[in-house]
Amino acid sequence: MTISKAVPNDAPILEVRNVVMHYRTEKGDVSAIENVSFSLKSGESFGLVGESGCGKTSMAMALLQLQAENATFKGGEIVLNGEDMLKMTPAEVRSHRWSDISMVFQGAMNAWNPVHRVGAQIKEAMDLHIRPQLSHTESRERIASLFEMVGLDPEMMDRYPHEFSGGMRQRAIIAMALSCDPQIIIADEPTTALDVIVQDQILTELKKIQHDLGMSIIYISHDIAVIAEVTDRMGVMYAGKMVETGPTIEVFHNPKHPYAFLLLSSTPSITGPRRKLAPLEGEPPNLLDPPPGCRFHPRCPFVTDQCRTEEPPLAEIGGGHQVACWNWESVPPLSEGLRK
Amino acid sequence: MTDVQAPASTRPLIKVEGLEKLFPIGSSRFRAPDAYVHAVDGIDFEIAPGESLGLVGESGCGKSTTGRMLVRLMEPTAGSILLQDGEEMLDIAAIEKRDMLRFRRRVQMIFQDPFESLNPRRTVYDTVAEPLTVQRVGSVLEREMRVAKLLDLVGLSPADTFMFRYPHELSGGQRQRVAIARALVLDPSFVVADEPTSMLDVSIRISIMDLMLSLAEEFGVSYLYITHDLAVARYMCDRIAVMYLGKIVEITDTEELLANPLHPYTKALLSAVPVPDPAYKRPDVLIKGGIAKAINPPPVCRFVDRCPMATDFCRTHDHPDLEDKGNRHFVACHLVESSAG
Ligand SMILES: Nc1ncnc2c1ncn2[C@@H]1O[C@H](COP(=O)(O)OP(=O)(O)O)[C@@H](O)[C@H]1O
Ligand SMILES: Nc1ncnc2c1ncn2[C@@H]1O[C@H](COP(=O)(O)OP(=O)(O)O)[C@@H](O)[C@H]1O
Ligand code: SF4
Ligand code: SF4
Ligand SMILES: [Mg+2]
Ligand SMILES: [Mg+2]
Repeated sequence: MTISKAVPNDAPILEVRNVVMHYRTEKGDVSAIENVSFSLKSGESFGLVGESGCGKTSMAMALLQLQAENATFKGGEIVLNGEDMLKMTPAEVRSHRWSDISMVFQGAMNAWNPVHRVGAQIKEAMDLHIRPQLSHTESRERIASLFEMVGLDPEMMDRYPHEFSGGMRQRAIIAMALSCDPQIIIADEPTTALDVIVQDQILTELKKIQHDLGMSIIYISHDIAVIAEVTDRMGVMYAGKMVETGPTIEVFHNPKHPYAFLLLSSTPSITGPRRKLAPLEGEPPNLLDPPPGCRFHPRCPFVTDQCRTEEPPLAEIGGGHQVACWNWESVPPLSEGLRK
Repeated sequence: MTDVQAPASTRPLIKVEGLEKLFPIGSSRFRAPDAYVHAVDGIDFEIAPGESLGLVGESGCGKSTTGRMLVRLMEPTAGSILLQDGEEMLDIAAIEKRDMLRFRRRVQMIFQDPFESLNPRRTVYDTVAEPLTVQRVGSVLEREMRVAKLLDLVGLSPADTFMFRYPHELSGGQRQRVAIARALVLDPSFVVADEPTSMLDVSIRISIMDLMLSLAEEFGVSYLYITHDLAVARYMCDRIAVMYLGKIVEITDTEELLANPLHPYTKALLSAVPVPDPAYKRPDVLIKGGIAKAINPPPVCRFVDRCPMATDFCRTHDHPDLEDKGNRHFVACHLVESSAG
């Protein structure tokens, strides 16, 4: 990949501050987002990584105010260009959605309506969100240029979804997300269902588009290798909590939260020496009843008594690198690994 | 054609020759098929006792079809699958019904989806003990002890707290452990594992892979390990075979394949794998487009339409044979020269 990264400008366009969101269920409250904070600068690419069920999609939905009906916000702010989205009316939120902040949903490539042409479905989104509405010809021209941008033949706009391969459907989804010229795109597992070669093509194009349009992107993935490749800064989530954030290179080369450290130590790679990987024992907790204190404590090799009762705050350790762990100073350099 | 893939000194445990599976399209009771999908199109490979062979490639290239034929969940349309049986080689593709039971003892399969591969109405004990019951192995008490031992081995311990649970009471990782226990309960010599960890979370994946590696050592099992993830194949496998549209295009030792890929498709595949290091810059991926379906493919190289090196020779000659280019590094490409070594 040869595309240079956009130079982020310093002012955050999106700030997530201490957001708490729970789902009400028959069995009780699911603590899906617990006191999560991070910010996104203009032109920046931010990655959210963590295993399934840790709250990534919930966070994405919260950012668009498209959370499930049983979700309730218990606190925090989501500040978009200086305005708190949690305080907006539904109409105000709608005026920002798509045109300021849009999204490539997880699994969206399978959500095209099979009976309508792909171009017509994109036009519908534009008609709802672009003011003043574009004329028919303007819409077609815009869709054609969007298709070119994402590497699709513009003639495909008059075809039906079943005539697209999986990779092409995902490209068309990206075209739709770009259609109202947003400042921010949230891409939730944008390449998870695709083979590596198509994944590479799509990530390369997304990077190029981001650079050319000066957009900000939040990438969400369970695959830390994807996050390593496409983001400037990142956050690691575990069981609804943000446990480590910082410049991507810093988090990868110098992880200080035990979970991030173990995740990186247990990721196989085709490069570097072939090595024995350190397994992470146990499984993530049920968010209906998360462990007290640090949510990682039942699986943590660095656990101390304090961890079992007191929740560690996300604290700065230098250079914009933040860690939520009482014992981060005990975490060894990644190269030393963990002795079993 | 190729009978020297497995380490020369040992007799292969599995020897596959000219294996083929064509699926008819558009046929019915009254109509001959319009065409065939060449899901597996004449492949050869060997697996040595105790060896783990990785089968990698993009989705639709024929990995699962190959795996299913090896355990006789699917009938090949041509070719043979020979399994070492004492001094003889038993042709799996031609096994008679009455020999099936004996064959099933030796060959097992682990599937991708632990949520679908277990019967929701059966307890862990029923699931793991079933192969023993079918094979009439041991007394009830002996079966119970065997199941308990296997559950301990796969990390579901203490065994008696797991034996009488149902699949819905287990996590994904625990279900895959049950599937592994079931596959190994008869002490098989060969296991086909089809993407056994791809549905599991990263943090659970390594412990399942480590478990499969240590059990392979303990039981002396050979694996055909199917995965689309080359990093996983590297962790698990001694050798790797790369498939493209029903053909094996390259097969050699794992580290040799990664360090010195020779087939243009393998090179592209390797350069597309994301690396968990932001400082690492991958080479550009030289091929375009996506994988198609092999429906009545022309006889030329299957990769010719996407190959950045294709020449007129490739367009006018038959699909290249898988040939040893030196050091047991087999490649199917007209343009790759043999190294003298
Ligand atoms: N509508 C909902 N009601 C109840 N629980 C939910 C709902 N949506 C998600 N969850 C739960 O919230 C947690 C976080 O889910 P999610 O945000 O989808 O995680 P991720 O995207 O990281 O896999 C999980 O435990 C999930 O089961
Ligand atoms: N039962 C079937 N009927 C028709 N086509 C099939 C069947 N099973 C698989 N195929 C086709 O055979 C090819 C190989 O499939 P498969 O072995 O599942 O590939 P992989 O496991 O590598 O993804 C694909 O084109 C697939 O669509
Ligand atoms: S706070 Fe304690 S339990 Fe939590 S990650 Fe740090 S050391 Fe481990
Ligand atoms: S035989 Fe020709 S078309 Fe096929 S992989 Fe080799 S160079 Fe490419
Ligand atoms: Mg998700
Ligand atoms: Mg498969």
